Amino acid sequence: MVSEIWTEKYRPTEFLEVVGQDNIVKRVESLTNSLNIPHLLFAGPAGTGKSTLALIIVKKLFKEAWKDNYLELNASDERGINTVREKVKNFARTKSIGNVPFKVIFLDEADALTPEAQQALRRTMENYSTNCRFILSCNYSSKVIDPIQSRCAIFRFKLLEKKDIKKRLMTIAEKEKLTMVPEAMEVIYEGSEGDCRRAINILQATASISPSINPELVSTIISNAKPKDIKVVLDYALAGDFQNAREKLLDVMLKESISGQDVIKAIQKEIWGLPIEPEIKVKLTEKTGEVEFRIVEGSDPFIQLQALLASFVLAGLGKE
Amino acid sequence: MSPWTERYRPRKFSEICGQDDAVCKVENFIKDFKRNKKKALILHGPPGTGKTTLAHVAARETNSEIFELNASDFRDKNRLKEILKPALEQQSLADTGKIILVDEVDGISAVDRGGLQELLTLIETSPYPIILTANDIWDKRFNVLRRVSEMVQVKEVDYHTIKDVMISILRKENLFINNNLLTSVAVRAKGDLRAAINDIQSLSRMRDPSILTLDERNKEVDIFSALKMILKGKPTRETIGIFDSVKMNLDEIMLWMEENISAEYKGRELVKAVECLSRADIFKGRIYKQQYWRFLVYENFLLSYGISAAKKEAKVGYTSYKKPTRILKIWINNQRIAKKKTIAEKYADYVHIGSKRALKEFPFIKQILKNNLIRKELKLTQEEVDYLDKPVVV
Repeated sequence: MVSEIWTEKYRPTEFLEVVGQDNIVKRVESLTNSLNIPHLLFAGPAGTGKSTLALIIVKKLFKEAWKDNYLELNASDERGINTVREKVKNFARTKSIGNVPFKVIFLDEADALTPEAQQALRRTMENYSTNCRFILSCNYSSKVIDPIQSRCAIFRFKLLEKKDIKKRLMTIAEKEKLTMVPEAMEVIYEGSEGDCRRAINILQATASISPSINPELVSTIISNAKPKDIKVVLDYALAGDFQNAREKLLDVMLKESISGQDVIKAIQKEIWGLPIEPEIKVKLTEKTGEVEFRIVEGSDPFIQLQALLASFVLAGLGKE
Repeated sequence: MSPWTERYRPRKFSEICGQDDAVCKVENFIKDFKRNKKKALILHGPPGTGKTTLAHVAARETNSEIFELNASDFRDKNRLKEILKPALEQQSLADTGKIILVDEVDGISAVDRGGLQELLTLIETSPYPIILTANDIWDKRFNVLRRVSEMVQVKEVDYHTIKDVMISILRKENLFINNNLLTSVAVRAKGDLRAAINDIQSLSRMRDPSILTLDERNKEVDIFSALKMILKGKPTRETIGIFDSVKMNLDEIMLWMEENISAEYKGRELVKAVECLSRADIFKGRIYKQQYWRFLVYENFLLSYGISAAKKEAKVGYTSYKKPTRILKIWINNQRIAKKKTIAEKYADYVHIGSKRALKEFPFIKQILKNNLIRKELKLTQEEVDYLDKPVVV
């Protein structure tokens, strides 16, 4: 049964359909053909083909029986490393079905695990390595501990190029009988930030309103998804009203379910449009970078963002 | 269930135990007011010894009306006039005298120079006796105040007296607590009669008080007092240890500080204080990540001393501190977006991504999910469908 969700409907099912990762695909294909894969680590930005490639590997290995031999887990969704290990244990208990003597476990967002949790994961990988091969997926390989990296064949996925994403979108537009002008494609690509999945979602969201894809429609869809009220938060702060800025910030983060990192990104974009002196813009951007660093490191985003808002208050008072 | 400290508060001079000297002086002060040179009397001494009670009893016993002034009222001339107007203008229709009570004049940096001046002016011109209470009146900014007032010391209540009072209350309440425990309470009270009465009241609620151990009072500080000390006062050695006396873990205390810094600090000091808070948070994160508990020292220091030192001058006046609202807001929000979450989960599962990512992309997904076939594919429930079709965007 084919899905109506385009990211699924048009997901590549053959190695040669995968775009933009030619080197990787070649290596992976030959490994898969040998019917014996080591543990794999797929590292790279979102929407560049990691899950897709894992699925292709598994379907090539196990053919129709792939669902029985494949377990998909997401480290940030699970309630901790112990649930992961439990699920792996239960899965690894039964032997594989078919010619291939092992089963495959795909662990997405493996870099969301703390270093301690990853140590535990390593032991699990070792315990079940005869029976199971792991495909780990992450955005930042630097967040994956060395012992795990050394046990895996590492594949670094690149951000997709504009032409690759365009090609995909054109294929889909044709099959779905949409009319699309080149400018619209540009807008979609901008909004996707190199994430092919997002690009397809933007396309489908736009198409759900009209099969004629024009740039204005796409812009509307994209701007509806942006955190709009960040500007309001900054306005409060620049006006010296810290308490309201803080409340509004919490409000925005909760209502739109956006993370601290997304807020930082939005703030950083807004700085250059603010009515303040250039030197202050520089200082604020530096401070923003520092706060982003702290958030990525693992501090409480809301508290760190407040420190940033306080800097904006100072800037507004002209005292920085 | 009124507190015993209220129920058994003395109403007559004769009911006040262990402060005979102070009682006598106060009674005379009020009775001889017209002839006296000094118009103000300062009742000073440790907490829970009966200062405020004595003022109220004095009013009662001399048939006077009492007008209470808060130390912060002295900052604002207009406010002062407003409160005292009925006192000063209404010449006694009934034959009642009036007493002005300024409770806790020392507070924490309670009265600043301007306010203090107002107070002194009031003392000079007041037609009515003024009683002030304070724990510690020896700060040099009170030099002039002490000179123009009669000083009456209210001492620590003696251990035997405390015990006697407790026994008499228990008798009236028809309750029994064994002697050893009573002695324990009396000793632990360290002269604070109010504390002792509170302790036996809480003990009396227990099934078998004899097996109880009382928490060492240790001048227990509640979070509001800690906030006051840190945000209003200048940092001292005591500031560093303040959180030890607060019965809350540091994570919770951090939330309280976070909520209330901006109520007190503005401008540059706000930036400094919030920066301290954020540095404390970094240490907190490292404690969890690295299990390196030594960092607790720095987290604690920044939260107390660091934030306190962010300001140049001590602050005065009364500020209302709030409970942290963030956790509650997050909870409320989670209830509100419960359906959004379940939909995001179903979608995420289907398309092989994490649910957090799905939530982030939700505006696009919502649009895509307008398609009925897709709704069937994902097996959305009727409630989830209703959520998607709601006219108001979350």
